[in-house]
Parts: sequence; C-alpha cells; structure tokens
Amino acid sequence: MIRVELNGAVASVILDRPEKRNALTPEMLASLISGVSQVRATAARVIVLRGEGSVFCAGFDLTLCQGHPDGSVMRSLLSGLSEAIEALRSQPRPVVIAAHGAAVAGGCALLGAGDVVVTNDEARLGYPVVRLGVSPAVSAPFLRLRTGDGAARERLLDPSVISGKEAARIGLVSKSVATAGEVAALAMEEARSMAAKPPTAIAATRGLIEEIEGARDRAWRALGVSLSLTGKDEERRLLPAVWETGRGR
Amino acid sequence: MSLAELEYSGRIARLTLNRAEARNALSVELLKDLRARTEELAGRSDVSVVVMTGAGKSFCAGMDLKAVLGNHELALSLLTSLAELTHALRMLPQVLVARVNGAAIGGGCGLTTVCDFAITHADSKMGFPEVDLGVCPAVVAPWLVRRLGAGRARMVLLRGGLMTGREAFELGLVSGVVESLSGLDAAVDELAGRLAQGGPDALRATKGLLNELDGSADLALLRRAAALSADVLRTPDAQERLRAKMGG
Repeated sequence: MIRVELNGAVASVILDRPEKRNALTPEMLASLISGVSQVRATAARVIVLRGEGSVFCAGFDLTLCQGHPDGSVMRSLLSGLSEAIEALRSQPRPVVIAAHGAAVAGGCALLGAGDVVVTNDEARLGYPVVRLGVSPAVSAPFLRLRTGDGAARERLLDPSVISGKEAARIGLVSKSVATAGEVAALAMEEARSMAAKPPTAIAATRGLIEEIEGARDRAWRALGVSLSLTGKDEERRLLPAVWETGRGR
Repeated sequence: MSLAELEYSGRIARLTLNRAEARNALSVELLKDLRARTEELAGRSDVSVVVMTGAGKSFCAGMDLKAVLGNHELALSLLTSLAELTHALRMLPQVLVARVNGAAIGGGCGLTTVCDFAITHADSKMGFPEVDLGVCPAVVAPWLVRRLGAGRARMVLLRGGLMTGREAFELGLVSGVVESLSGLDAAVDELAGRLAQGGPDALRATKGLLNELDGSADLALLRRAAALSADVLRTPDAQERLRAKMGG
C-alpha cells in the first residue's frame, strides 16, 4: 500500500490504496515510515509524497475501528501518524507533498511533514473529526507553524473542510494550482529544483528552521492529548457514525 | 439589570455586552458583570459554544476611561480587570465566537481576538487607535500577536487607526465577513451550529492544547501589560489627548 520510486535525485513515496482513497491503516503508516528510511540508503536529495488515484488521502480508515471500542486501533493510527510525520521531518531531505483532490483529517495532518505542499483550487482540506469525538490535536504543533495560531485554531475547532484556494490563502499549503492533474507535475518540478541545489546548504537550512520551530517536543505532547480521548465514552458514542451511516469522515 | 446578559439555547450560549447607551464601553461595572458571566460559563459543561456580541449598534467601543482619567490606581484596576477577563474568557472550555455587530475598538477589538472565531460585516469599524491617543494597547497585544502573528500585529498596533470589517478579514483579524449586518446572524448561527456538533470532550481537549501551544495561559504577562498600559496612561501626553477627545 506504499510504493517507493526513484527518479534521478527525487524519491517518490506513494500512498497506493486508490480504491480506498488512500485511507490510512496502521500497516500503511508503518510502511510509510520504512519507505522513508529506505530513501536514506539512496542518492535521492528530495522526497515527494503523493497519493495514487483521485485524491491524496481521505484520512484514517476508520472502519478498522469497528469492533474495537477500547480505542486500540485508533491509538495505533494516531501514534503511527505522529511517527510518520516525525520520520519525514527528522530526515535531512526536503519533503514536497502533492496533495491533490483531498487531504482530510489524518491526510491533512500529514501535510505537517512537508516543506513545500502543493494542492489544487477545488481540493478539500481540513480536520472534520471533533464531531466523531476525536481530537485533531496531533496536527496542531505543525499546522500552527504553517498558518499561525489564529488560523490553526479555526481549522482545528471547525469541522468544515476548506478549498485548496483557501488553504493557500491561510498558508496551510504553499501553492494551489487550477486542476488536480497539475499537482503532481508541479510537486516534481519543485522537488527537482531543490534537488539541484547544494545538499549541505539545504540540509543546514532545514535543520536550523526545525530547531527554531521547536515542534518536536510539542508533537509528543499533542499526540498525548489526542490519545487521551481514545476509547472514552464520547468517542464510543460518536465514532460509530462512520460505519453506521457511511458518513463523517 | 446586569450589564452582561447570558442566554442559553441548547449547547449554544449568547453573552451580550448590554450597555448600548455607552456603545458597550468597558466600565468597571461592565467588566465585573462580564467576569461573573464568564465564571458561570466555566461551570456549564452542557454548553459547547459561546457567541459574544454587543447590544445596540456597537460591539464594544473600548475601555471607558472617563471615570479613571487622572486616577492611576483606578486606571490600573480597570486595566487589570480587562487583563483578567481576557484570560478567563480564553480559558473557558467552550469555543468562543465573536459576533461583531458594529464598532469593535481598542479593548473592544481585543475581546474579539480572545475569541476562537470572529465574524463581522463589511462596514463595521475595527482596530486599535490607542497609540493615536498616546495610550499603549498592552493588554490586547498578546492576543493580537496570537491571532495575527507578530509581524502583522506589530503593524496594526503601531500604525493605530481603524479599519473596515472587510479589511479586518483580509488581514486575518476576523475569520469571516458578510456583506451587510442583515446577513450576520445567518453566518454566526451556521458557524455556531456546526461547532456545537463537535464532541464536547474533543473540542475541550483540542482548545486546551491550542491554548498551551500559543502561551494563552500566561496571566502574569497580561498583568504586566495592564501595569504598563496604566503607566503610559498617566503621562501628560495621554492625559491631554484623552481629555481633548472626551471634550474637557
């Protein structure tokens, strides 16, 4: 469900579960992490993260939580997501994310791992999870770095999704293009452009920014907040809407 | 009659600044009543969303400095009350939405930035004209920095003056803008209704983390800011400008 492709100096890590809109499973998140470490052994200078099919990522595959009211699957998903973001952020290569079509909930959280994020104007982005009794806290330390605290507050508390165009306005993504079909090509162009620059300067700059941001310690705290709700009454009451009505994601 | 009214409708509460004859300017009494209503809300786990608004045409014209002009102790007390109110509002477990029905100026505009969301109409007047009057907008500064980021907050506070609701939206000071006052209720009700669908525990946990990440709990900073503002207020420059503005 995760593919890694090498094209010259660019390694593509691909979410490859298009029949489920690349909905994330604990196994996929583990493969994503191993895919990223696989890139370490190559000469690639930049990583592109993209999704196969009609959208980048629809979020967690919440149907897997059915039959696990103790929250065990949700905990694996949240921890795996946090570790995947950390894996992408802590390795030295810039990460370009091609988020075409939709990046929702856990899929939108993944954008926090990108140095450059490209989407399209009609794409749907956001964190519609509080209505499921799930806290998007795990996204907060990274989202606020992109948008500032004011807009991060709005996006995490408001369960509505926004367009790619609006996401570019608030800084959630770096750039929005007219159509979904252009996203991957632009991401590749951005990646090649960065890959052509001296890697030492790129890695040093990226490392310093990471240090200034200081998000790493806060990421564990934020994960703890999201985990504090798993398996609790509210989640048990609200989450089944996903498989009972087929809505809510 | 209280100067701050609280009404409940399902999971949504409405907190109204009810001093229309003074454009809801923040007096000692109004701040005291707002604080009492805030304490009441803190215990209401059955409420998820609070809509804050102003009675009459204005949202809030700012601090009512008339009564404290020339009296440093009173001024410090008034500004400290504002500082503590903003902190108490931010620490509420509910999601806060400012319904900016009209002018939101100085401390009044500050109240909107303490809220998680603010919606206004294109022609409302918003901003921080404190420096124009020789006053330091210290208590609102931490909230504005959190709302806009330090770069834009610097520009807004140092440039002074006012802006329209439309400009406030473009700047990021408010989260939504409608064309005219007549459309405001529909937009606020839609947002509040959507927010109220969230799981209360999930909302509370998420807001709590956001408050932690952006340093909202720092009450000492707000108290220092109130002291700074009171110090600047007693300078001759501020006193003269305020007296001139108040017509004597």
